[in-house]
Amino acid sequence: MKLWHSFLKEMKLSARGFYFYVEILVAVIILVMILFVVPENFRSVEDEYLFYDWPEGVFEEFVLPTLMEDDLDGKIESVEVEGDDILYPAQLIESEGTRYYIFESEEAVLRLTDLDRPKIGAIIRMDEQSQPYYEYYLQGYETQRLRNVYSIFHILDFDLMEAEFESQEVRSLTDGYLELSDRENIVPAMLTFNGSMMGVFIIAAYIFLDKQSGIIKAYAITASSVWQYLMSKVLVVLVSTILSTVIIVVPIMRLQPNYGILFVLLLASGLFSSTLGLVVASFYRNMMQAFGILYFLMIGLMLPAIAYFTPSWNPAWVQWIPTYPLIQAFKETILVNGDIGYVAWVSLGFFIASGILFVFANARYKKTLVS
Amino acid sequence: MIKVSNLYHSYNKDEHYAVKDVSFEVEEGEIFGFLGPSGAGKSTTQNIMTGLLQLQKGNVTVAGYDVKTISNKMFNQIGMSFEESNVYSKLSAKENLEFYRKLFDVETRDPMELLRLVGLHDKADIRAGEFSKGMKHRLTFARSMINNPTLWFLDEPTTGLDPAIASEIKGIIREQNKKGVTIFLTTHNMYIADELCDRVAFIVDGELLLIDSPRNLKLQYGDKLVEVEYIKEGETIKESFSTIQKEDLDKLQEVIGKYEIQTMHTKEATLEEIFIKVTGRELV
Repeated sequence: MKLWHSFLKEMKLSARGFYFYVEILVAVIILVMILFVVPENFRSVEDEYLFYDWPEGVFEEFVLPTLMEDDLDGKIESVEVEGDDILYPAQLIESEGTRYYIFESEEAVLRLTDLDRPKIGAIIRMDEQSQPYYEYYLQGYETQRLRNVYSIFHILDFDLMEAEFESQEVRSLTDGYLELSDRENIVPAMLTFNGSMMGVFIIAAYIFLDKQSGIIKAYAITASSVWQYLMSKVLVVLVSTILSTVIIVVPIMRLQPNYGILFVLLLASGLFSSTLGLVVASFYRNMMQAFGILYFLMIGLMLPAIAYFTPSWNPAWVQWIPTYPLIQAFKETILVNGDIGYVAWVSLGFFIASGILFVFANARYKKTLVS
Repeated sequence: MIKVSNLYHSYNKDEHYAVKDVSFEVEEGEIFGFLGPSGAGKSTTQNIMTGLLQLQKGNVTVAGYDVKTISNKMFNQIGMSFEESNVYSKLSAKENLEFYRKLFDVETRDPMELLRLVGLHDKADIRAGEFSKGMKHRLTFARSMINNPTLWFLDEPTTGLDPAIASEIKGIIREQNKKGVTIFLTTHNMYIADELCDRVAFIVDGELLLIDSPRNLKLQYGDKLVEVEYIKEGETIKESFSTIQKEDLDKLQEVIGKYEIQTMHTKEATLEEIFIKVTGRELV
């Protein structure tokens, strides 16, 4: 009952305080961003600057019809591209993922590729056997893999490549495993950092407020235990974690997630972050003193998000950071037919870690109440 | 009620002790004053007795509980009024007390009754954050009585209060003591100690220098003099006479018999003067 009364009191204080609303407001901002700023799927359009150094009429007769096959509106647009106050005329052909600017001179391609850093330029010439060969102008920061692709791309017969590509059969190992849209794919990382890891900051802020006002000492001179005091704070953080998660997940994912296992994982990760916050706060007197370690901690915990959004960067050490499995587990909870077993194991791990951290925090606070 | 023996405490866990070999006992029903300047070790001793600081060396028994193995049950019997007000500023005065009463396993007092006692009953629904310093202090004081403590720790209970309110607070302390509550009063205000305490202890630089009743201390350390103002040949004369030496006693009788006496006081040393005399330190 003492825990219950302490929890009710903490809820009342939070509702009249600042930090609770900060978390809710951040959740609303994230929701608005995801819904209205992030597209359903990222569609990257690449610009290529081309010059065909071919005899008169060959380009119009043989190349242009092929390029036009992919053009979105079936029309060639005459445009002018500005570079260094000079207007270079070009013909624009726009396909699904690429805009081809076909210039009238080699100089225009070289000049504009040099000025427009993200662009790729190419000069297509004809050799002595009347076969096309390509000179690519890259920016210098492209990966070796991309350079290798350009090196070998024109060796093979394109029709043969296309036929081979079409004939490949691709099957998923798991039936009914639907992929997430780009927008939905952001949700696991947001849940990890707003829903769960924000708890580290919030609970530390609550503790420091009590330390500064001396309330923690007044509580210690009651027949209630330190663990009840700490747990009441943890419960408040869990409530705000669940609230902010619901704010983000429901409008975006609607009924798709497995909400049962999602809440189990949320509780486990919320417990972990709040007990971690308790341990950190036990070593310092105020937020100013603890800010350095809290900041360092948050940066460390955010590193797995880079691995999540950049699958090619996934070093083994990142996988040891607790938020790495957490992001993956959150993803499983919102996927149709996600791996529930994996989520259960991750949740168990976080529950165990939280238990250990809570016992340690309890011992620390018993010893350091007046410091 | 309290037994402290050979208590040592060092914040850095080295030889620089904040409290050094402190021993004393407080009897049930007594008002015991723990007096000393800032940094003398008063709060350290009190924090150890209330479990806020861990006991490092020595033995401390409070309300029958050994603080080495402190039990939550002990706090049902004790109350503590802190020098610095520490109430929930976002809760009203009544909500503060309502919350604290739920943290004890014993019968508690009605929050409104306590607020009335300290003159805050008409501010019961106002958030403590809007209170003045003195009002917060009274609320902290009221909270310390919520569980009907049999042992009451008071840390500077009248600091920052205007004389009228301070007088009421002293009245409440006397009233509680009459009901049998043992009071451990920590202060550097010698006047309140003189008024309230049955016995006082002087602590300086972590060492306990003296324990006795204010009366005994005054008898022992006060100057035994009578100061008299009288009119002699139209002029006001001020003289001091020893109450021990026969020659002075005879002279005093002569003055009383022959002249018009304007004022006459026995000169008693104040506790503050005695403290300075004993410790060589001022109470700052």
